[in-house]
Amino acid sequence: MLTCHQVAAGATDYMEGAAPPLRRLGVWAHLRICPNCREYLRQLSRSIGLARRALVAAPAAEVEDALAAIFAAHGQGAAE
Amino acid sequence: MPRRQGGIDVRLQATQRDGAEEAGLVARLRAGDQAAFRQLVRARHGRLLRLAGAFCRNRASAEEVVQETWLAVITGLHGFSGEAPLAAWINGILVNKAKTRAVRDGRMVNFSDLAREEGEGDAFEPERFAADGHWASPVRPWDALTPEREAGDRELLAGVGEALEQLPPAQRAVVLLRDVEGLESPAICQALGISEANLRVLLHRARIKLRDAAARLVGPA
Ligand SMILES: [Zn+2]
Repeated sequence: MLTCHQVAAGATDYMEGAAPPLRRLGVWAHLRICPNCREYLRQLSRSIGLARRALVAAPAAEVEDALAAIFAAHGQGAAE
Repeated sequence: MPRRQGGIDVRLQATQRDGAEEAGLVARLRAGDQAAFRQLVRARHGRLLRLAGAFCRNRASAEEVVQETWLAVITGLHGFSGEAPLAAWINGILVNKAKTRAVRDGRMVNFSDLAREEGEGDAFEPERFAADGHWASPVRPWDALTPEREAGDRELLAGVGEALEQLPPAQRAVVLLRDVEGLESPAICQALGISEANLRVLLHRARIKLRDAAARLVGPA
């Protein structure tokens, strides 16, 4: 029987589908009976979702304007 | 198969949502629609800068790499096949440019060395688990994290953004490429010059730290 420590340590291999079959089965069996590890893996997964939506700074107005000007100039060039 | 066991397949959901809007956006971009281009810049510029920052050693060269990427996007739009999502196509251009530039400037971060350094020791603090391998204290459920907060709590999402910035460089690069931008593992290994095993070690450590940061930000129920 795998310990919680072993399950947590192998969580990414398990989630990525990279754990060998026997280990995979061991983790699966552990998760069935261990609410703590179930919750921990669920939180890892939810954290990935949060990271995907993490805020980043918006581009400065001058940067956006400069890029838009290049885009416009290229469009005119292509149309001629 | 990957990503399912945790219960939420984040990447699939995002792909389906993006796919619905994408064809229209690409058509408008090709027609030279300024508003569509500005929308794209607003959506992607900050993310590109963050990604470039994982490869470049300073802000100025990251900014130049992003600028070069936008030029390549503008001139390459007509050749964009639409097989991969637009964001993935742009990310691919950025990764190539960032790598070329870092190599040319002799400032390529050696991710293989970093992977070794950042992968040393136990990923968990010793007090986290009891001697018998059980959790030392129960994993507290995130009852305070409602779906609404998960989708749009700006303070929470800004905090997670800061946690991303604070990761060690190789862990940050890997989690940005894999979890945040959704690149496939082989492409990431090739871009960073690391093995699949390195990738998973770094990803694991990054995810543990992000989960801990998120747990603090989510707060008690
Ligand atoms: Zn357990």
